[in-house]
Amino acid sequence: MNLSADKAFSHITAILADYNNADSLIYGIGNIGRQDDGLGWAFIDWLEQESICPKAELMRHYQLHLEDADMISYKKKVLFVDASKVPTLDTFQLENVKPKMDFSFTSHAISVEAILATCQTCFDNTPDVQFLTIKGYEWELQQGLTNKAKLNLNQATAYFKTNINYKLSGVNHE
Amino acid sequence: MSKKLVIDPVTRIEGHGKVTIQLDDNNQVVDAKLHVVEFRGFEKFIQGHPYWEAPMLLQRICGICFVSHHLCGAKALDDMVGVGYSTGTKMLPTPEKMRRLGHYAQQLQSHVTAYFYLIVPEMLFGMDAPPEQRNVLGLVEADPDLVKRVVALRKWGQETIKAVLGKRMHGISSVPGGVNQNLSIEARDRLLNGEDGLISIDEVIEFAQDGLNLFYDFHEKNREQVDTFADVPALNMCLVDDDGNVDYYHGKMRIVDKNKEIVTELNYHDYLDHFSEATEEWSYMKFPFLKDLGREKGSVRVGPLARVNVTKTYADDTPLAKAALERFHDYTKGKANDMTLHTNWARAIEILHSAEQIKVLLSDPDLQKDQLVITPPEGAWTGEGVGVVEAPRGTLLHHYRANEEGNITFANLVVATTQNNTVMNRSVRSVAEDYLGGNAEITEGMMNAIEVSIRAYDPCLSCATHAAGQMPLIVSVLDSKGELVNEFVR
Repeated sequence: MNLSADKAFSHITAILADYNNADSLIYGIGNIGRQDDGLGWAFIDWLEQESICPKAELMRHYQLHLEDADMISYKKKVLFVDASKVPTLDTFQLENVKPKMDFSFTSHAISVEAILATCQTCFDNTPDVQFLTIKGYEWELQQGLTNKAKLNLNQATAYFKTNINYKLSGVNHE
Repeated sequence: MSKKLVIDPVTRIEGHGKVTIQLDDNNQVVDAKLHVVEFRGFEKFIQGHPYWEAPMLLQRICGICFVSHHLCGAKALDDMVGVGYSTGTKMLPTPEKMRRLGHYAQQLQSHVTAYFYLIVPEMLFGMDAPPEQRNVLGLVEADPDLVKRVVALRKWGQETIKAVLGKRMHGISSVPGGVNQNLSIEARDRLLNGEDGLISIDEVIEFAQDGLNLFYDFHEKNREQVDTFADVPALNMCLVDDDGNVDYYHGKMRIVDKNKEIVTELNYHDYLDHFSEATEEWSYMKFPFLKDLGREKGSVRVGPLARVNVTKTYADDTPLAKAALERFHDYTKGKANDMTLHTNWARAIEILHSAEQIKVLLSDPDLQKDQLVITPPEGAWTGEGVGVVEAPRGTLLHHYRANEEGNITFANLVVATTQNNTVMNRSVRSVAEDYLGGNAEITEGMMNAIEVSIRAYDPCLSCATHAAGQMPLIVSVLDSKGELVNEFVR
């Protein structure tokens, strides 16, 4: 049983159909030249291949930048997707993001929470933000996800696909 | 018992490094080293690829100064196909100006990142301030309007890069002999005049002036600290034009001494005739030096401080930067400036200089012309090329060779951070002597003083994987036997 995924299911309902509008952004973070760091982009690839959320703005970037606070200030709903190396994560996790100035900034990293807090403080807007992290394992200079990472990606996409079906069939998933 | 302090990794620089400070039995500094412990091997894995892929692939060495790598590679390719500077060919005006425009935009954006995001928080809050405040996110809380302006500056730089190179990151506009697009009037007007959500070039210049004034205020209040912090000698090197003024895209390599006397001036195609590289077992990064002078006297500084030391003046069409440069030169009464923290002053001047240069270029009708590429004559292929530009961090060199099939057989990249290796180590040692001498206790301020000395060079040690996770700073104290006697983690 996937405890992380169950935990995610228990407190959140993520229906990608809610992102299918021009006010939404789905933002894949990562580097496809570093093996499983490409998970964020792979999720965007899946959306495009399946023609899911064609009205949303889809974006791929190597890392978050402080300017993203400005960018998301124009959106109502944002889904960030990134690889994770957190040891306690089994497969994937979906969280609602609250603004938090956690002082995580370096030249190479800033947290989603800090981006949202900056958006709130500097740009007077607080969009609805969710953060999907998918467990990765290898990060060397090489293209292509590991098989274990692909399985985790498949679990994440299956979860969203299920939710899409619920939405389309009118089942209340709340 | 002698002790060794280790700062690993150094934070808020591009990539990961490690600092080791060796103390003697009286806690006096006997040695200090900046280790670069990552190895990327780009020069190796480009071999076998078609030559025209080099500027596309090798720019991926970095997510910050990728335009410099792209243009450096493009200049090398110009040589290889027989229409580069090595053949005496002068590039057509439109492609050269397009390349310059992208180059200045990247310099603006890169310097803004280093200056406002990494250095200004230390200037405003002090080196001893707690790390949760001494951070751009501390700025967000303390001065959101300033951060809003910085974000607007960065965004403008990114939009200019996208307009010129086709993408916000890792663009592909340069082709052998030229570029693949000019700048449309619509794109030009958007960058000149701004639009909803995008500032105008005049606002860019205004914000750049604000940034310079931040340094002036900081300097006024902290003059002794700023002027005495890591005041270390080095020769200064950058590309110059025929008048001896900095040229960020093309020129001769000029090296000057403390009195700004020319030590050497060379065609960059002859770089290897003049420079040698030392290696150390404790670092992957080499130590370049002028052969004639040897390693100790022949090491150079590159980057903002070196450039403002070398250049005599700026052009009249960049009057604000020109005046700022004169103030900088007056401060050391015509001598070269070795004060490491004045690198940040130089960087702020260059932000303003870049903005003014961009405004001049955007007003140039050559950017809308259609002659974009020089087609090489038959038999012009040389198979070898060297490109040099002044990247934000300093002089950057790409050197390629290819076989008759056009596949790369050799690649050598000498990046600015490598050029600065010796002077960075000197800076670390200077700060270690000032801050750590006689005291082996690790404090936050002490650690940061070491980092500040490195960060002034804005070194690009490598680009790491950016998965969500952690990026700890661990400082360890080891005794002479290598056993841990103290450790500090934040």
